[in-house]
Amino acid sequence: MTSFADTASSFIADRSDAAERRLAWSLFESLGLPSPSDEVWRYAPLGDLDLDRFAVASSPHRAPDSAFATQLCERAGLVVRVVDGFGVSAGDATPGVSVEFLGSQSSLNGESFLQRYEGDTFALLNVALAPGTTVIRVEAGVDVTDPIVVLNESSASASFSRTQIVVGRGASVTVVEYFEGGTDALVVPVSEYLVEDNASLQLITYQRLDASAWHVARTTGRLARDARLHQAVVGLGAHYDRSRNDAELFGAGAANELRTTFLGSGDQVHDFRTRQFHVAPRTTSTLLSKGAVADASRSVYTGLIEIEKGAKRTDARQTNHNLLLSRTAHADSVPNLDIRENDVMCAHASSVGPLDELQRWYLESRGVSRDDAQRLMIQGFFYEMLSALPAELAELVERDVASVLSSVAVVAA
Amino acid sequence: MSSTLSIDGLRVSVGDKEVLKGFSLTMRSGEVHAIMGPNGSGKSTLAHALTGHPGYKVLDGSVTIDGVELLTLSATDRARAGLMLVLQQPFEIPGVRAFDLLEAAGAERSTLRARMLEEAERLELRPELLDRFVNVDLSGGERKRAEMVQLGILQPKFALLDEIDSGLDVDALDAVARRLVAATTEWNCGVLAITHFRRLLLELPPTMIHVMGNGRIVATGGPELAETLERDGYEAFRGVIA
Ligand SMILES: Nc1ncnc2c1ncn2[C@@H]1O[C@H](COP(=O)(O)OP(=O)(O)OP(=O)(O)O)[C@@H](O)[C@H]1O
Ligand SMILES: [Mg+2]
Repeated sequence: MTSFADTASSFIADRSDAAERRLAWSLFESLGLPSPSDEVWRYAPLGDLDLDRFAVASSPHRAPDSAFATQLCERAGLVVRVVDGFGVSAGDATPGVSVEFLGSQSSLNGESFLQRYEGDTFALLNVALAPGTTVIRVEAGVDVTDPIVVLNESSASASFSRTQIVVGRGASVTVVEYFEGGTDALVVPVSEYLVEDNASLQLITYQRLDASAWHVARTTGRLARDARLHQAVVGLGAHYDRSRNDAELFGAGAANELRTTFLGSGDQVHDFRTRQFHVAPRTTSTLLSKGAVADASRSVYTGLIEIEKGAKRTDARQTNHNLLLSRTAHADSVPNLDIRENDVMCAHASSVGPLDELQRWYLESRGVSRDDAQRLMIQGFFYEMLSALPAELAELVERDVASVLSSVAVVAA
Repeated sequence: MSSTLSIDGLRVSVGDKEVLKGFSLTMRSGEVHAIMGPNGSGKSTLAHALTGHPGYKVLDGSVTIDGVELLTLSATDRARAGLMLVLQQPFEIPGVRAFDLLEAAGAERSTLRARMLEEAERLELRPELLDRFVNVDLSGGERKRAEMVQLGILQPKFALLDEIDSGLDVDALDAVARRLVAATTEWNCGVLAITHFRRLLLELPPTMIHVMGNGRIVATGGPELAETLERDGYEAFRGVIA
């Protein structure tokens, strides 16, 4: 059997930008996989991760869409298709929107990808091994009415997709980044968003990979003056689901709302990390993370609010609720604050515990059984996240979430 | 079929305070009973205790529907036995829609949507509000009407309404009262309405009015009692309320 490194090096050798990729790869090799003693990876079952089980794909292997993906696409204004990290279809031309599959790009903060991600082992793998970058641009002033769906399918054993979304001044758009496939696979996506002055990006990241997948994702939003980034991250699939979602508010008055939610079952691990970085004054971030863990699954939420000197009148809020659905499930919550400015509003709250007793009573007092009441409430975590979606899209995703929930033992310990 | 709701010697505490101190009342299907009484006299406590609210502790007494004891049942089973409460301040259930709640409560899925729309129309509630999460982003009056939609679907044997009239505009008050009057004949619903105002009772004529004071009933009478209260307040009952 060829090693992961062999497949990586032959993949890289075939690329025009091989030199840069080799740099990323050698940096990855010198860093090595993180060890569980590394604070940042403390909860990851990395001991079980054998990279040599995976091979880097040299071309996309398209599998049939799931029924859900088909329905999702029917409801989209534009479908961008990415298979094993390769852009395979840019969809129909849409006024004010451009979709390109480009080779090496720089990060949306202006640095090279290598500089940008030099300390992040998995992101470095993406820098070395992503076939290209899917770049979606919305022209200034354009209000894209129908949602754009970026359909990420993983059928290869290792895939690295990279997406950049740029929303021009005053423009607005809704984008669904959807991930499926990933049986016995390593899936390492990197996404970047740039929301320019007074623009608005509504983003749903829906991760529905196979329960055997290793998913290590990283997204970063950059917000200019008065820009709005509303991001919902829903994690249902994968064996190990790592999702790091950052926002950098460098324009005054920018607003970030981030909602993350997950459901753990079996022996899944959901590992969510966030960093809201306030650089400019009057920026706001509202972060709500709600998750439920059943069976022997685990979750960890680690959230950092960082406020730069000069980011006066920043308002940053972070709330994390975890629900334990069995005695063998476990949830950790680690909020962190790093504040270098005095004139700010900052709040964080976290809880690990059962469902709200009064809400449950209300449902029961209408004749709903306890199990159904709990199921409705947990389902509600996800539905709340989806409420920004256009109704028929939300309804579709809700049905999908409900079908997953119906197979999980939703009985609070 | 006619049913009987019977509350006998009910004593309930909240925190370490005894609030209901031997409350008794019997009513039958199709009847409308009103409970009036000063703030803090225990009206909401009664409503909560009957429906198994987790914050209330029953010390003594019995509550039955057709002889079946409710106080030993779960909140779910009390509802299934035929009791439904509309709260004084209906709260939000984020992420849960009335449709899913009602389906989980046993409503037939295929006709549910149509029935909800019909109820909304009778209550003059904008139909698009039915799609919101339960009570989320609804005004006080809209919440009351949305709760009445649930009532029309669930068709409880006995409906407990805790100040259904508060927060309702005049037109909504009439619509809600009409709906309740119709319920008393449509499925022979027994209505137990807690209120501070006679206005509701003009539209929803009560079989009997009970005045509550300090955790128990201190007077029972016909509609004329509401008139007296409107004119004189609770002055006449000072002695008994203590
Ligand atoms: N959680 C609580 N802890 C302690 N006392 C409480 C609690 N809830 C209610 N009470 C007390 O119980 C008494 C009865 O309250 P209840 O809400 O039943 O009154 P009410 O008759 O419904 O009044 P209103 O007309 O204002 O709605 C009051 O004195 C109130 O302060
Ligand atoms: Mg009250």
